[in-house]
Amino acid sequence: MNRPQLRHLIMLRRTRFAQVVALAGVWFVSDTATRAAGLPVPGGVIGMLALLALFGTGLLKVHSVSGGARWLLAEMLLFFVPSVLAVLDHQEFMGAVGLKIAAVIVVGTVLVMGATAMTVDLCYRWQARHA
Amino acid sequence: MPDALQGLLTALFWSVVTIGCYVVARMINARWQAWWSSPLLLAPISVGIIVVLMHTGYASYIRGTHWIALMMGPATVAFAIPLYEHRETIKRHWPILLAGVAIGSATAIGTAFALASWLDLPTALRTSLLPRSTSTPFAMAVSSDLGGMPELTAVFVIITGVTGAALGEFMLRFMPLRSSLARGAFLGMGAHGAGVAKARQIGAEEGSIAGLVMILAGCFNLMMAPLVALFMG
Repeated sequence: MNRPQLRHLIMLRRTRFAQVVALAGVWFVSDTATRAAGLPVPGGVIGMLALLALFGTGLLKVHSVSGGARWLLAEMLLFFVPSVLAVLDHQEFMGAVGLKIAAVIVVGTVLVMGATAMTVDLCYRWQARHA
Repeated sequence: MPDALQGLLTALFWSVVTIGCYVVARMINARWQAWWSSPLLLAPISVGIIVVLMHTGYASYIRGTHWIALMMGPATVAFAIPLYEHRETIKRHWPILLAGVAIGSATAIGTAFALASWLDLPTALRTSLLPRSTSTPFAMAVSSDLGGMPELTAVFVIITGVTGAALGEFMLRFMPLRSSLARGAFLGMGAHGAGVAKARQIGAEEGSIAGLVMILAGCFNLMMAPLVALFMG
């Protein structure tokens, strides 16, 4: 890689980092506000709606935060890892109760996914035929 | 060593372990693209083994890595970008997505209630299982509304996500879903955040639809919670 290319890459990374920080700022403000107002909705959802409103009114251009947003969404699985380990605190699930819970979750999830997919697919085909 | 420094070093250590395991898991996933190689499965298992081997409790682990879990907030805000980019698709098809969310939520609560009763699980566990098909913050709010245990619900939500994302890939082989709409809704409703990540691997449109469905499902469950509580009481 030659020098101008390298400089371009560093610049790109820096902008992306700044955009992630900006999105974190939006989340922090909306989360604090939601808590203060006692709304039963996660702060992130309010922040997302605020951002959508800014895009809709043209006050903010999508491309000015899209690099950071794409990074956050691409690495989303990392943010789940610490929460999964909460299972370690529930030794009581190592046994019959745990197996029963696993059965409820696995069978339930298959049914939920099947029902959702069938509903959406049927509606979609119906709409396509009547459009 | 002063306590503050010790705490900082512990936090740094567990953060590096968590991010390191995730990066390795992602590399393995890029090499062998199979359900078992999902970073959501490999990363927590390997971090979990290290936590147990080091005789660390979850409490001291999460104290150092809580900031990673908190990044879910900015990631939720970031959903504004794909939602805005796919606004035409969403405008055209929102009634279909809403129907999917309504049927999916009803199935989630209904099957959890029926299966847990049939397997004779304690009432508190059953109640905590009901809202597990939505993303964590919503599910915890609904769980406490219904009289369940929110921290248990959080664990069930995560297990549902991992299971759903793994099963989703498997199920797609047998269910030829024609529209990106159905593929996105299927993963967003069944496996929330983990499903959205899976859907993003399939396609950009699938990913944003899954994200929208996940958020819709959360709002829908939150609004329906008082009704479910009434029905159960």
